[in-house]
Amino acid sequence: MSDQVQLVRVVVDQERCIGGAQCELLAPDVFTVDDAAMSSVIEPGLLPRGLADKVVDRCPGRAISVVDAADAEGAS
Amino acid sequence: MAGRALTPVDLADPALFARGIPHDAFAAVRATPGLMWNAIGGDPDDGFWAVTRHADVVEVSRDTTTYSSAVGHIQIYDIDADALEARASMIDMDPPIHTRLRRLVSSAFTPRHVQGYLESIRRRVAACLDAVVAAGGGDWVELVAKPIPIGVICELMGVPEADHDAMIELSDHLVAGTSSAPLDPGAYGNTTELRLLPFNSPAAHGINQYALALGERRRRQPADDLVTKLIEAEIDGERLSHSEFANFFRLMIFAGNETTRTAIGHLALHQRDFAAEFDRVRADRSLVESAVEEVIRYSSPILYFRRTVTRDTVLAGTAVAAGEKVVMWYAAANFDEAVFADPLRFDPSRPTPPPNVAFGGGGAHFCLGASLARLELAVLLEEMLARDLHLDVVGEPEYVDSNFVNGIEHLEVTVR
Repeated sequence: MSDQVQLVRVVVDQERCIGGAQCELLAPDVFTVDDAAMSSVIEPGLLPRGLADKVVDRCPGRAISVVDAADAEGAS
Repeated sequence: MAGRALTPVDLADPALFARGIPHDAFAAVRATPGLMWNAIGGDPDDGFWAVTRHADVVEVSRDTTTYSSAVGHIQIYDIDADALEARASMIDMDPPIHTRLRRLVSSAFTPRHVQGYLESIRRRVAACLDAVVAAGGGDWVELVAKPIPIGVICELMGVPEADHDAMIELSDHLVAGTSSAPLDPGAYGNTTELRLLPFNSPAAHGINQYALALGERRRRQPADDLVTKLIEAEIDGERLSHSEFANFFRLMIFAGNETTRTAIGHLALHQRDFAAEFDRVRADRSLVESAVEEVIRYSSPILYFRRTVTRDTVLAGTAVAAGEKVVMWYAAANFDEAVFADPLRFDPSRPTPPPNVAFGGGGAHFCLGASLARLELAVLLEEMLARDLHLDVVGEPEYVDSNFVNGIEHLEVTVR
């Protein structure tokens, strides 16, 4: 990953998750959806800003948010 | 009500949809700044705000606090509180209860999980296409559009094959409740007041009775299906009540059946009207995925859903008041020229995003079966291409008499 890409940290609010699994579809390395269709973040939950925004936008339950910008060197 | 811009026609009149989506009427409403008010029955105080632009549909869809599904009704006409209660399924609820009900079944509909139905869908599609080819054509709706989606949703639910035709008939009679024709209140052995039944249709009674009987069978003999899941489900340690279960079942049968059927029906029309565009897909199978999205956008199977405003707010620059109705016309937003270049062109390579709003504009009520519908349509298109199947439409389609679904009743085709 280029160090030009800004990475951000994402979290899932499981109270709002409706199990649409769009997150897993868009970013399978960062989101996992269990047998009960509950999404959770695979730590450390870092995504490029553009992809994170897309996941946030596509989440039907409005359950995903970006919590902070991460240090780009923190991810490979 | 003074100062409100009024819609040029009554958008809720089923006759307006007799030949499909009224693009000119919707374009006029979209082009008018702010929101237009659609008066009902000549009464300026009774009516709804017509939401026709893509951005506005997305805004309403995503804000379930301001725009409620639980207050009033999600159809245009209001119903009494006891009727709302009697017929409520999760589609008539807001978070957090909506969320908890939806999660009972959502695992069966994730993009990953629906891939598990691929081979079953392919078998159903192949059987239908082989039948229509063998007959040299026929009613595309009866032979292809109806059996595929009902077969798939019934398989998920656990409805035996022998009962699929009965589910189609009952589901069709539900939709008849959105037409202008009167219904027989005693049909299907119904004894419930029609006003208490979904779509005011006696068929809802029939579906509910069927659901309860099937549920009882699964209670004694569980199976790997959604009916068993719903029978065994607990929310806060409590099982679903009979009416909660039956309403859930009815919603799933209806939503899994009418919508994809409508898209498949329109697919045949798209092939007639945009033959050159389909030749591009024939030449480049990598276009199947985007072509499916375009079929979904262009057919917009569900014309609208309504929300009710819970607090005074502003939408598209227009003040809307608590208690007023807003109607999201998906069939208008999907042709919003601000979002879709040359919207009346059927473009199988149209880029996404922006996503169309045929499955809703996002938010908690985003179509549960979206991934399943996309898969059914993709398999159908692939199998049609594999057979080099060309359809010729005979005559004109007969549309369902409804302001709610963009359904096609009959569509004669010949194949070559």
